[in-house]
Amino acid sequence: MNSLKQKKPVPLILLVLIITALAVALNGCSTADTGSGELIVYNARNETFVKPLLDNFEEETGIRVRVLSGREELVNQIAEEKDNVQADIFISNDAGAMEYLRQQNLLAANNTSQLESIDERFRAPDGSWVGLSARTRILIYNKDLISEEEMPQTLQELADPEWEGRFMITRGGNSSMVTHTAALRAVWGDQQTREWLAALNKNAGAITGGHTDIRKAVGSGEHPFGLVNNYYYHLQLEEDRNNNVGAVYPDQGKDEIGAFVNVAGVALINESPNEQNARRFIDWMLEDEQQEEFSYHSRETPLNPEIPTPEGAKEIDRYKPMEINLPDLGPHWPDAKNLIQESGLDLGI
Amino acid sequence: MAEKQSTTLENQTAPYLPETLRGLSRFRLFIWRGNPPGFVLELITLLTSLVMFIPILYVMVRGIQGGQEKWLALLDARIPQLLWNTLSLTVVVSISTLLIGVSAAWLVNRSDLPGRKIWEWLLALPLVIPPYVGALSYIIVFGPRGLLQNLLGQTPIDIYSFAGAALVLTLFTYPYVYLITGSALKRFNLHYEEAGRMAGLSYPRIFWKIILPLLRPAMGAGFILVSLYSLADFGLVAMLRYTTFTTAIYYQMGSFDRSSAAILSVVLIFITLIILWFEYRTRRKQRFFQSSGTYRKPSPLPLGRGLVPSLLGIGTVVSLSLVLPLSVLFYWSYIGISRGALDSRFWEYTFQSLLTAGLAALACAILALPLVYLKSRHPAPLSSFYERLAQAGYALPGVIIALGMVFIFNRYIPALYGTAVVLVLAYIIRFLPQAMQAESSSLNQVSPHLDEAGRSLGYPPWQVIGRIILPLIRPGVLAGMALVFVSAVKELPATLLLRPPGMDTLAVRVWIEASEGFYEMAAPASLLIILVSALPLKWLISRF
Repeated sequence: MNSLKQKKPVPLILLVLIITALAVALNGCSTADTGSGELIVYNARNETFVKPLLDNFEEETGIRVRVLSGREELVNQIAEEKDNVQADIFISNDAGAMEYLRQQNLLAANNTSQLESIDERFRAPDGSWVGLSARTRILIYNKDLISEEEMPQTLQELADPEWEGRFMITRGGNSSMVTHTAALRAVWGDQQTREWLAALNKNAGAITGGHTDIRKAVGSGEHPFGLVNNYYYHLQLEEDRNNNVGAVYPDQGKDEIGAFVNVAGVALINESPNEQNARRFIDWMLEDEQQEEFSYHSRETPLNPEIPTPEGAKEIDRYKPMEINLPDLGPHWPDAKNLIQESGLDLGI
Repeated sequence: MAEKQSTTLENQTAPYLPETLRGLSRFRLFIWRGNPPGFVLELITLLTSLVMFIPILYVMVRGIQGGQEKWLALLDARIPQLLWNTLSLTVVVSISTLLIGVSAAWLVNRSDLPGRKIWEWLLALPLVIPPYVGALSYIIVFGPRGLLQNLLGQTPIDIYSFAGAALVLTLFTYPYVYLITGSALKRFNLHYEEAGRMAGLSYPRIFWKIILPLLRPAMGAGFILVSLYSLADFGLVAMLRYTTFTTAIYYQMGSFDRSSAAILSVVLIFITLIILWFEYRTRRKQRFFQSSGTYRKPSPLPLGRGLVPSLLGIGTVVSLSLVLPLSVLFYWSYIGISRGALDSRFWEYTFQSLLTAGLAALACAILALPLVYLKSRHPAPLSSFYERLAQAGYALPGVIIALGMVFIFNRYIPALYGTAVVLVLAYIIRFLPQAMQAESSSLNQVSPHLDEAGRSLGYPPWQVIGRIILPLIRPGVLAGMALVFVSAVKELPATLLLRPPGMDTLAVRVWIEASEGFYEMAAPASLLIILVSALPLKWLISRF
């Protein structure tokens, strides 16, 4: 009887043990001692482009960097965490997303003098986010199928029946496409933008999930050209084969609107747990060396004209960017998706 | 005599006046139909089910707060198409997996199929290949610029379509049905079949009249598992660009439209509850008890002319669900490793995967036991209610659970927010039903008379569970643990949203690298997930 009684609490003890182990093990390896030398980075950019920089920062300063890499959903996560802020820094590929966060009061103002190396058009008025590299919307084309002269020179031309079935675009929900739409909306107005999108939807020979499919398909000659961000052109040039491609920067004529330049950059989160480190990080990122590194791996163009451009990439002052302050896109951005949906272009997943 | 009469009187009034302890116990007696469980047991069950239910509650609240206008807009524009996409995929995949799973289980357990010990293994292995990894390998081979396109100039199937999604999802989920029906087949009492044979029935008749009905609980469990899996799958459909509720919800989340996401989730939860209710209704009518004391090996049935088609069928399934993805992954891993993919970070991700999944598996095996026991041994509306409550988490796609957790921990338990505790809890909420299904299909074959014997010898419920039930249903418990562990290692959407900064798992790495097109970086992590998941599977199959 005695021996039976001793065995009775075994499952309970096991349960308690496991719960304790769970709490200890997981707390031990993950919770931060807040205030210590740490920096929490939410990264919506391709991680391979960012990791070398973060490793350097860790090495130079001794501040431990913890990264959370994702995509647009990180914006949502930052919004959810506004009463229990986790992130110090947000690295983004999209001025629209950063400006959205600023307008939700989720970013902290920054007045560091380092910001002056970047043109005002490419950073928030309060300095809370700053662009570092340009992601320009261009047309990549296959030189075997079409010559530079034959190529459409403005984006508006893509709506002509002449180009039906001959080019590729991404799904409407692609964040580059959304912010591009927001910019066009600011310049063209709702009506023209909607009609243009509807025509694109009709004319496009293929609609893909992302830009990599476009550059590869254009490279292999499936379609003569496609609408991409500038660095996809450079990435395709570096392929072992199917690399006979060219790039057209659209709307460069005297009275034309210019190519839309979105930026990748860094944002300072409001009331972040390691604010000192975060400010230090942004200052550090704005040093010339880091600005160069930031653009180099992705083959984007540095926004600071002083910074050397990756080989073959067009310097920011060698083409005409769309005359628009990125922060001004804020009001147009949330509705851009609705406009895309109204035009009939599928947002996709 | 007088005492007895007062008991009867009090029995009638007690439900309305549970004032005293005696009254309370009478009340419990009433709601438990005269068969109340131990108090501690019920308390644990209640707490577990409540915790499992919290995220669903959050989503419901968010969904209802979404407002009439948004509901109407979604009902008009998106929900009909999503319903069709999701339900057609779920139905096709569930039926296909049932066909493949049951026939494969029967072939390797009951026929004279040559090499059936090896086939038995090979058929179970796709369980460890996460569907999104499978999808990745199919994109590499069948995609618009895939291997076949390069070799032949055309592909036999458009992989970004309903057919593509249904095919790939079937190939990587049929092992659920296969394993569960297989284990039930092994514990079969041959007397029923022998009785059938003595009554002069042909084998096909015995199969339809005796084996299939006896397999029903296991088939039902497998069918439900696969249906729920299809409804909740995110990685595969996202990669194959097939829009279902989960991807639509994820997309709405990404575009800062949380109320639409919550509304779509409410619909998805509703569909899932219907399936669960359906299963409950049909299974309630049939209960089987078998004593395993007379177990002996069945003699294999000669296949005769069916041999070649059977071999071809099994061979095709194994090639498509195992050989093809593994070859693709090995090829890309070779490239990746030669470029230095196995750095110290890689091993850190590995450790983090194992730790979180292991803890979740252990916790699930333990937490499922009281729930399953209560349901089986104290059948009453209340125990079914607890069970349904606990299973609700499985209905939710990981994205929704993740957002529920973010909300709850962020607001009420900020100290734990951003730690891996949240992640493990999400795993438990998502995968506890797997442990429950496995344990309950084992438990349903253990006669309640055994516990009654234990109770009559003076064992309290805990000892009955520990000393009598647990040893008898050990295969089910282990199967449940293995299923949970494997699922947690593979889990993608909740991990994506809940991992603390700096604490990526292998699954997250696969997703990140694959979505950037770095197949050579995604492949080694995929292979390791497969390897890690394969270890408990080996143990699982040998114990069945």
